[in-house]
Amino acid sequence: MEEKERFKEILEEVWPRLKKKHLFPELPMPKIGKVKESLDAEAEEEEGVGLEMKEKQITLNPAFLSRMKGKMAEEKVIEALLDHGIAHYTFCPWDFHTHLMLYAEAKKVVNDKELAKEVANRFIDLIVDTHCVKKGFTEIPQLHKVLKKGKIEEIIASLCQRIWGVDLGIPPSRIAGSGYEDVVRRLARIPYLDRSRWPVSIQKFARTIKHLLVSEEERQKHKGKGRSNPQGEHDLNHYSSEEIDQGLRDYAQKTMALSEFREIVGDFSEELKEAGYGIEGGMGRGSGHPIDADILFYMKLAENYSIPLKKVTIEKRGSLHPHSHCPWEVSAPYQDVDIWTSFGKIMPGITQTWKKREGEGRGKVEATPDCLIAIDSSGSMINPRKNLSYAVLGAACAANAYLRNHSKVGVYNFSDAPMGGKDILDYTDRKEDIYRILCKYFGGGTALDLDDLTPLIKGKKNLDLFIITDMKITNLEALISFLAQTPNRTTAVHIGENPYAARFEKAVQKNKNINIFTVKKKEDIPHIVLGKIKDYFNPTLQKR
Amino acid sequence: MNAPNRNSMSIPNPFEEFKTFSFKKKEIPLDHIVQSSEEVMDQIRLGYEKLLEEEAKELVWMVQYNTIIKAYEVAEKYVKEIDYSVEDIEDFCFALENTQKIPYLIPGPAGVYLSALCNYAKEEEILLRLSELKTEINLIGFRLPKGKRLVIDGDTGDFTGIGLEGGELVVEGNAKNWTGAGMRSGKILVKKNIGLHTGEWMMGGEIYVGGRVRGLGNIVEGKVYERDKMIYPGKVRYPNLYY
Repeated sequence: MEEKERFKEILEEVWPRLKKKHLFPELPMPKIGKVKESLDAEAEEEEGVGLEMKEKQITLNPAFLSRMKGKMAEEKVIEALLDHGIAHYTFCPWDFHTHLMLYAEAKKVVNDKELAKEVANRFIDLIVDTHCVKKGFTEIPQLHKVLKKGKIEEIIASLCQRIWGVDLGIPPSRIAGSGYEDVVRRLARIPYLDRSRWPVSIQKFARTIKHLLVSEEERQKHKGKGRSNPQGEHDLNHYSSEEIDQGLRDYAQKTMALSEFREIVGDFSEELKEAGYGIEGGMGRGSGHPIDADILFYMKLAENYSIPLKKVTIEKRGSLHPHSHCPWEVSAPYQDVDIWTSFGKIMPGITQTWKKREGEGRGKVEATPDCLIAIDSSGSMINPRKNLSYAVLGAACAANAYLRNHSKVGVYNFSDAPMGGKDILDYTDRKEDIYRILCKYFGGGTALDLDDLTPLIKGKKNLDLFIITDMKITNLEALISFLAQTPNRTTAVHIGENPYAARFEKAVQKNKNINIFTVKKKEDIPHIVLGKIKDYFNPTLQKR
Repeated sequence: MNAPNRNSMSIPNPFEEFKTFSFKKKEIPLDHIVQSSEEVMDQIRLGYEKLLEEEAKELVWMVQYNTIIKAYEVAEKYVKEIDYSVEDIEDFCFALENTQKIPYLIPGPAGVYLSALCNYAKEEEILLRLSELKTEINLIGFRLPKGKRLVIDGDTGDFTGIGLEGGELVVEGNAKNWTGAGMRSGKILVKKNIGLHTGEWMMGGEIYVGGRVRGLGNIVEGKVYERDKMIYPGKVRYPNLYY
């Protein structure tokens, strides 16, 4: 029987048992097939890469399995590799956000992209193997025993001997003799299985092995080759594009720091590009443009916020009726969810929403108008490409709310507009274009050129205005009188409190179509209600 | 009418297997290592907190001979009762920066406490890898006794190795001002640069500096070398005017 067929048979026999052992992870049946390995592995005495995981699909390398012949039973090699691969999915890193977090923590210590990746990979592998050993019934220790080892691998194996209580064939005298006993002692004190302490633990891990990795890197530079990881390389191929989206979203939300996000995206730019992250296309994915980390940051951060949008009655030639299905996104409205095709679940990837189309007939329907966002990017505002700007985040959240309702958004970004400090984007549903204009920063003085605004508003009966500024506008009075004459629903958001904002608030308080919100911290953003009309019967308003 | 046979109609219970299932928690040596090191760390932390409580009575912690001696005596009392290793001392140094666990780091008492930990450690040679520490610890190496060798991989703060009592202190990075002040005997090696008032009132011993010495203090007795060249006793007459 051909070797590959035999491996397949073993795999089919082993897989149900492994699935049960790992509590039935949602992983497809592993495959036997070619995996990417370094050129050196094929020619040299190295075993090469044993497994590869791409978007949850585990592939075992038949060449690796053949190379292990005589050292360990084929079935045990397959089981050990699969235990390792499955535990990556079920325990560590678990998700892309954890992977990014571990990498970022490691980089804080080693200050080098490649070293940080290596530290994170070794730490993740160690956690996964320790987790499997702790659970029992794994052949991973046996695999470690027979694998060829370099200096660092020997130290790690010695550490495993100590923390697992299993003999991996490294005599203690060898490590003591090489002077790395203290490294092993330090590494053995790390609580690998305590997920809540992983950020601190990886820093300690990195501190302890940094000098070893640096000297190994030097050695490799001279020799011109590196060892491949028999238990598989860790790259973004592990994750599906949805997981990458979610990971970036979580990372942006957790750190809330533009510089950290930019650094991470920069470090993973190659991998992100491979995963389809340019700037064109939906959700920041697609090819053609380099990744703009700043735009991606606001995009991912804004996806974490959902601000309500009041619909208006719009006269249509026909009424809307459900036409086709489209996948539901987190923070998209629930009312269009089709519970039948969603199996009663609210879960991205499963839940479906009805996409409505205009049908025949006459009548008035509730719909969302287009929106013009006017954003202040003068010197008194925060530069969104240097620090987290609540103005851009707020405007981005507003843009998302309109785009989710299939409306179009125009942007008027201004500083000293009469002097040319402005950028105008006509109404579009292209998210990336909108974000690019929102993230523009002019600096300098603040003045609106109302001649720019008029053509954007003129002729559009149903149009919402969204203005976000600190209100320190030179021609504030002109803006007030302009807004007072405009019948459109207007949401004015001012960043922080100041006398100009108070002046604006007082001047427009009688205009029922203008609503004012203050954003002082990120928690204020979800409190904005777009297109809210003041209730005339509200007694508190009448008193005023 | 006969009742249907219940056994023939029943479907297999999917949870049948769990009747015989027994959960056995597997222990690995890592569990024990982590647990015991955490217990030791708690003891060390408790000792430090008690020292801080004592020292908090003084509203302002001044680096004066009496203050340091008094703090050291309190630190000694707690440290003697703990069974710890070099790795515990190193972990404590990083725990000092972790504000979640230890509410405040007062550089003076922290350095005195760490010195007491080093001086009472079982090991004769102590290597502390502190190059990633964001804070430079003051007063480290205080009263390091004869027979002990303390190696700091990283920089140290002010008052490094003061009152050295015959031990050998190696700083792989830079040391700040007042290094070796009041030392009686022993050796201090600083691989890089050293600050002002070096060896102030030192009564004996040697200070070797691999980089530059910014300024010497009023030295009573002892030797100071800068890049293998003896600079005290030597031509330098005025403290802090060496460069």
